Amino acid sequence: MERILVTGMGIITSMGAGKAQTMLSLRKEVAAIGKNTLLKTVHNDLPVGEVPFDDDSLKSMLDCELPKAITRTTLLGRVAVKEAIEQSGLDNIRPKRIAFISGTTVGGMEKSEQYYRDFLENDRHSEYIALHDCGACTDMIAAQYPLGFDMVTTISTACSSAANAIILGANLIKAGVVDAALVGGSECLTKFHLNGFNSLMILDKCKCRPFDRDRQGLNLGEGAGYIVIESESSLRARGVKPICELSGYGNACDAYHQTASSPDGQGAYLAMMEALKSASLKPSDIDYINAHGTGTPNNDMSEGHAVMRVFGNNIPPISSTKSFTGHTTSASGGVESVISILAIVNSFIPANLGFSNRIEDLDFSPVMHSEEGVSLRHVLTNSFGFGGNDSSCIFSKI
Amino acid sequence: MEDLVLELKKKIIEVLNLEEVKPEDINENAPLFGEGLGLDSIDALELIVLMEKDYGIKLANAAAGRDVFKSVKTMADYITANRTK
Amino acid sequence: MKGLKIMSYCRITDASVIFYDREVVVYNPKDEDPWLLQIYKAKDIHYPKFHKMDNLCKAGFLGAEMVVNDDSQENKENWAVVTFNRSSSLDDDTSYQKTIENADNYFPAPSVFVYTLPNILSGEIAIRHKIMGESVHYITKEFSAERICEAFNDLASDGKIDTIVGGWAEYFQGHVDVLMLKVSVNEEDKQLLTINNILKLWKI
Repeated sequence: MERILVTGMGIITSMGAGKAQTMLSLRKEVAAIGKNTLLKTVHNDLPVGEVPFDDDSLKSMLDCELPKAITRTTLLGRVAVKEAIEQSGLDNIRPKRIAFISGTTVGGMEKSEQYYRDFLENDRHSEYIALHDCGACTDMIAAQYPLGFDMVTTISTACSSAANAIILGANLIKAGVVDAALVGGSECLTKFHLNGFNSLMILDKCKCRPFDRDRQGLNLGEGAGYIVIESESSLRARGVKPICELSGYGNACDAYHQTASSPDGQGAYLAMMEALKSASLKPSDIDYINAHGTGTPNNDMSEGHAVMRVFGNNIPPISSTKSFTGHTTSASGGVESVISILAIVNSFIPANLGFSNRIEDLDFSPVMHSEEGVSLRHVLTNSFGFGGNDSSCIFSKI
Repeated sequence: MEDLVLELKKKIIEVLNLEEVKPEDINENAPLFGEGLGLDSIDALELIVLMEKDYGIKLANAAAGRDVFKSVKTMADYITANRTK
Repeated sequence: MKGLKIMSYCRITDASVIFYDREVVVYNPKDEDPWLLQIYKAKDIHYPKFHKMDNLCKAGFLGAEMVVNDDSQENKENWAVVTFNRSSSLDDDTSYQKTIENADNYFPAPSVFVYTLPNILSGEIAIRHKIMGESVHYITKEFSAERICEAFNDLASDGKIDTIVGGWAEYFQGHVDVLMLKVSVNEEDKQLLTINNILKLWKI
């Protein structure tokens, strides 16, 4: 079976746009979480990880012809996709068959919620109705690649969407359906889900504190993260160099509750074990875990127990970079895969900000300060979604 | 107080979609969470919304609800003491 | 012959529920209960959490209930859930929007918000039947027997998953359209999972 190699990546979050900016921000060890300035909501007391560019600034980054009506989820996705395409040389030599798989949940909702009253009364913004769907966003992000894709689809499994897009892309390559895939996710902030998460009482009124004893909840964020994966033969045919390998992945269902995770983290445990098995690796081969680590009392306890069950007494360094970006929901699997790969490439372990005291029931503390010059052979990243949809991916140094 | 207890039972059934339960099936002193009606964390949040919507009582977080929502009787007592509607 | 076989299927439309080629429940316009509740009662199901679900989850849950037909609460790590639809959770999204659109009567409803994600459908099916293998939800422009066949075959191809529950579950603007399948890798004398066989069941 062909190896799956990563040949390009793109990212945009509250830390800024692009891989270089992301590394700069991670090294600064300052959370890019604060007051919302763009979303017109009354909930201005809730800290968010807002991308520091308005729609017009995002458009100017793209430097190409764009439709007049376009959604923020699409713009964020296109910025990240542009960077991934450039790094992988997809615009120079097109792989024989390539898929685009994008994870999103809010789609064009940020515009629909602004204009839905107009939709009912007049036609001034009716062009935005067609942009509401998840699929419409995916199609518009796909348009960033002028050479076109052979297959385009959307995965919508909440916070594991982008991770599942990566898994589907890898499966399609292994099954010989395509030779390469551009995979990940994009999500922008909306009043709809800010209010919704608030009604579930899982938002922190301060900056989130993943794995901390006194954590109160998560901060919502926005952003996009995509990677280009291809088979070894596609890579050789195109004459490009691999950045790292997607060596394993797993998806399992917690089957416990619609939004809460089981106390012993069964779904998370199964997903991590599946990823290790598919990579033919032992737990001791993992040098760093980029956790799901949302900062909610429930997730961090559940994920913590699952990590202890998998790794026993030898838990590798672990951190949640949601302490920098907030929870980018459907994009988080893509964003955090890019960060995990940057960790391998830069021999760098990002910090887990906001941590002071260990959770009593857990045997480990996350990494409090970033570490440089650490050779990372294999990195595991977790993305767990509502509905008990739990995914884990393993990236390996070449 | 009896009227409030019956009113609460009906509202709990309606708001939490307990279609197969009748007011007379709910013992006002029995635990609402855990055993008995087997309510979960989302139900607790809906009860917090109910307190504000119908009785004008704002509970700060889910933890604050734990003691209030022990049983229908503790809810009724708390509402009697704190209602603003 | 060993292969991925259709073990059972259930087709739910606005008019009836079809199971094993027979109409087992027919919509009664004179019944005050909404259609999905009529099905729940007609099949004598006892799962109080059903009443908390949104319409999409109710519809998919009922289809899965018919095809799984197994009350055992053992963890099924070799089973998977794969669902598809077109309108995502839009029906419940609309209900949730109503709870936040009026500044004077502003009460976001957490139990409604929970369902504003289409993959809660695969989650509810997994919770009910303790299915712990892979779960995923796809959104496609329309029903595609080809996509369903491909997804199911892909899941079964590495030998870890041997049973899959899933299919198309759509609920939008009062209309229900479900084709739920249970497929298994075995040698039983059942229909093979093929695009044509799926289409035949869809058109029943």
